[in-house]
Amino acid sequence: MAVNVQDILAQEDYKQRYGFYTKADYVDFEKGLSEEVVRKISALKNEPEWMLEKRLLGYKMFLSKPTPKWGADLSKIDYNDIYYYKRLKSKEGTKWEDVPDEIKKTFDKLGVPEAERKFFAGAEAQFDSGVVYSHVNEELEKLGVIFTDTDTAVKKYPELLKKFFGTVIPPTDNKFAALNSAVWSGGSVIYVPKGVKVPMPLNAYFRINAEKSGQFERTLIIADEGADVTYIEGCFVEGTKVKTREGYKTIERIAVGESVETHKGDYRRVYHTQTRPYDGELFTIDYYGDTTQQIRVTEEHPLLAVRKRRAEYSNTEFSPSWIAAKELAKGDYLAIPIDRKVTSNEVLTFEIKRRSRWHDRIEMLNLKTDKDFFRLVGYYLSEGSILGKDGHSNYVSFTFNKGEGKYINDLVSLLEKYFGKKPLIGKEYKNGISVTLSSTSVSTFFAEQFGRGAANKKLPTWALNESAEKQRELVKGFWRGDGSFMYKLYAAGAKRMFRMNTISATLATQLRDILLRLDIFSSIHVAKRSGNRQPMYVVYVGGDNIPAFVGLIEFFSSETVVKENYSMKMLLDFAIRTHVVSYAKILGNYAFVPIKAITSERVSNLPVYNFSVEEDESYVAAGVAVHNCTAPVFSASALHAAVVELVAHKNSHIRYVTIQNWAKNVYNLVTQRADVQENAHVEWIDANIGSLVNMKYPSVYLKGKNAKGEILSIALAGEGQTQDSGGKVYHFAPNTTSRMVSKSISKGSGLTTFRGLVYIGKDAENAKVNTTCDALLMDDKAKTNTYPYVDIQRNDAMISHEAKVGKISEDEVFYLMSRGIPESDAIAMIILGFLNDLTKVLPMEYSLELKRLIKLDMAGSVG
Amino acid sequence: MNVMKLEIKDLHVEVEDKEVIKGISLNINEGEFHVLMGPNGSGKTTLSRTIMGHTKMKVTKGDILVDGESILKMPTDKRAKLGLFLLFQSPIEIEGLGLLNFLNTAKASLQGNLPFKEFMEEVKNDAKSLHIKEDIIGRSLNYGFSGGEKKKVEVLQMQVLKPKIAILDEPDSGLDVDAVRVVAENVNDYQQRAKAGLLLITHYSRILNYMKPNFVHVMVDGKIVKEGGRDLADQIEKEGYKF
Repeated sequence: MAVNVQDILAQEDYKQRYGFYTKADYVDFEKGLSEEVVRKISALKNEPEWMLEKRLLGYKMFLSKPTPKWGADLSKIDYNDIYYYKRLKSKEGTKWEDVPDEIKKTFDKLGVPEAERKFFAGAEAQFDSGVVYSHVNEELEKLGVIFTDTDTAVKKYPELLKKFFGTVIPPTDNKFAALNSAVWSGGSVIYVPKGVKVPMPLNAYFRINAEKSGQFERTLIIADEGADVTYIEGCFVEGTKVKTREGYKTIERIAVGESVETHKGDYRRVYHTQTRPYDGELFTIDYYGDTTQQIRVTEEHPLLAVRKRRAEYSNTEFSPSWIAAKELAKGDYLAIPIDRKVTSNEVLTFEIKRRSRWHDRIEMLNLKTDKDFFRLVGYYLSEGSILGKDGHSNYVSFTFNKGEGKYINDLVSLLEKYFGKKPLIGKEYKNGISVTLSSTSVSTFFAEQFGRGAANKKLPTWALNESAEKQRELVKGFWRGDGSFMYKLYAAGAKRMFRMNTISATLATQLRDILLRLDIFSSIHVAKRSGNRQPMYVVYVGGDNIPAFVGLIEFFSSETVVKENYSMKMLLDFAIRTHVVSYAKILGNYAFVPIKAITSERVSNLPVYNFSVEEDESYVAAGVAVHNCTAPVFSASALHAAVVELVAHKNSHIRYVTIQNWAKNVYNLVTQRADVQENAHVEWIDANIGSLVNMKYPSVYLKGKNAKGEILSIALAGEGQTQDSGGKVYHFAPNTTSRMVSKSISKGSGLTTFRGLVYIGKDAENAKVNTTCDALLMDDKAKTNTYPYVDIQRNDAMISHEAKVGKISEDEVFYLMSRGIPESDAIAMIILGFLNDLTKVLPMEYSLELKRLIKLDMAGSVG
Repeated sequence: MNVMKLEIKDLHVEVEDKEVIKGISLNINEGEFHVLMGPNGSGKTTLSRTIMGHTKMKVTKGDILVDGESILKMPTDKRAKLGLFLLFQSPIEIEGLGLLNFLNTAKASLQGNLPFKEFMEEVKNDAKSLHIKEDIIGRSLNYGFSGGEKKKVEVLQMQVLKPKIAILDEPDSGLDVDAVRVVAENVNDYQQRAKAGLLLITHYSRILNYMKPNFVHVMVDGKIVKEGGRDLADQIEKEGYKF
């Protein structure tokens, strides 16, 4: 398919086609570039004089440099037809209705949540990254790290910028670097002080920038001696969609969007079933309080946690931070978030579908959902069952122990109160007494809302966020039915605990969550039972949580105490009680539980799964950014010319990750360079998926001895796209090493080109260079080129270059399909296998996203 | 319970414009153990690939049915979902695609997601009974595996994916005596456990020393020339394909 470049490029046409912005939305700026425009940008930003001078120099250089002709065709760029600075006047951008269907469909495919779509589509200009941002910033501030947008940095840290800005990439470097120097806007500045290792990847997502157009960002990262930092540039989308969300739950919603299924009835626990092949250390973390859960994470994966302070005492201070799994140790505390939101309903109306032999009809059931009602719910969850033939619900029945007369009376009056019908009290049978209400609508109500059959019991969403008062009654009712008190005397003291049993895993976790809301920490233990019986989940409360629970269930007036005469023992026990302290602490919105065991194993190509809430929590750190990359970024401008400068001082390490997914109308011409000093290490990891023409060759200048540079790049060229990428390594000092690995995939009229430049200076004794470049062609039409350039000033360098071109074969696809894998998945798997040694260095979330993008973009049929 | 039925009716197949299969009819039911023997180049592998739906195998005449319905228009993955499986004579190597990841994806698409722990246990147990070294299952799919390892991993895939009817294309070729026995025992075990239907394609009767097939078919030049029981295999062992 031929792409009419002219069409897509023309600014006006693009706007019309996509219905995005109109001129009126912007602060007035003319198209085209002049000294006046440069001055105006600087003035609008209130910049100091020195920055204006840099801009003007950039402008001069831009005029004097020709558009490069050695690479992709750039002759279609009309510099006079571009806005160089834009700022939205109004807060409103595009109307959602105006977003083209094609784009909406993409969002559907990706499962991007509704609120985020508007942001991606440009329909929402204002945002607030709220909690996450401030939290991360606090952490960084403590470490002395500067992480801010470049405009702010110019004002706040002028000395730092004067010293480094434009030193790695001077405006004289090339036409587009010069252009960026003249009109730059946005971007990040990071400074990491001596010896500081930033524990989590810093993400572009955290940047706050109200400007919609980010096509000339300027990024500067300085790692001082011995510092370590990873920066991830999600597709240049400024800001995030955290706005509509509360705290950390948002992330779980994204996770729900990603994984196809959510756990039924429990909106907080989202189970990822996605996998990615992973090579490296896999950590397994067991924590106190829930033997049913285990966290398995990759080594870099950050978890919200608190370090144990002293060896022999429990912590008294808890201030959680993100800690990578590999940095965690036994005894450190994991933070489990507590959902404290309260939504209370006095009355609820339920639709009851009644099936009859002749026709189905809907009956409305109005219920006063007050606190007594919740006690009734507790009774149902523990002792209730539904009876009826052929899946119909005709009777709801409760079974109590004959000694529990008080509860039976309570139940009978509750049923009468809420449903206006007297239940039938059965005769004693095997020490049990049953209470049965014959009502199709009532039994259907219980079955639908709270589950039918003991293993399926659950709480509906509306009950999970109810007020404390009502939830206390629910727990009380449940405990009366399925609760027990365990008391044992040991030589070392007494062991006491309250237990509640259920065979529903969902209900067990829901009960635990409700108890957390009531500031009571409970543990879940799963007990295997003999034969074919389902495992029993035991929710138990012990230690210093006991007094609160005793109060809640009104233990001393309970039937258990009356029967077993526990009261004396209890009193005695309280008297001799020493310091029984729970290992877990509830503070604010978190429960802190110590890690019981942490083990790691070396795995290779293992599919990694995510489980549990804690795991989802960790997505707060990076997960949101995932969608930044998934959604194509619709830029109003066809030219994107960013500049990224890295300065790695002695012994430092910088890893810079970019996943570029610009809309397919964009010229992406980016200059990235790193100044690498003695013994320092810089990694560029670069995935190029979007844009019409991409030209990007991250480079490393190895200036100090033993310096090391790595450039890993992935390029996907679909129909009509040109991915011209690679890297440049300059060896200026002795014993310097570099590695360039490029993997490219092209399809249809897509073209991938690898350019690798190797320079060995006359002082670069014993330099080592390794270059690998693999290309995969999806069909017979697709093309790929490789251009290695080598300039060597001495003869002791070790240089290796490897290039391979392959094509996906029908036999490969047939083999995978013969195992039940659909064609598009099979192709995606082969591509990902091809990319594996690069994707495995990406953080997990990005790897997952890349996988999805590949499925969307590449996995058509093999021709 | 209904048993799955695979029927091949007067099948003619061309590969790159050359007729390789020249009218074959064969019925295989779940639970039955068939052996297909024949000299090199008789079309055995073409038949197996055609059953599984390789796009290069063009059916010019005849039909393949599962439970009475034609599957000729069905893509390969859908055939696998019906319960068909092909053990490849030369399994494909895919660098970078982890064996476990692949197997897990395949299992999930055939049977839905399984808790990871259970899946791992199953794979490990099956690998153990096949004497597959642990490090093999952590590696890329067939990449750099020895011939024997590849065949064993094919059997492992069958055990994990649990087909109703499996076509085993020379599971014994290139294996040493011990490996042949291990493969045979595992196939037997699977067949009995799952009551699966088998179509075992082989060149030699060596593997049959460990197995008890119900039917033996002999294929020469794209046609079935002789059918019989176990003793037919013994006869071929002694006399070769002289009919």
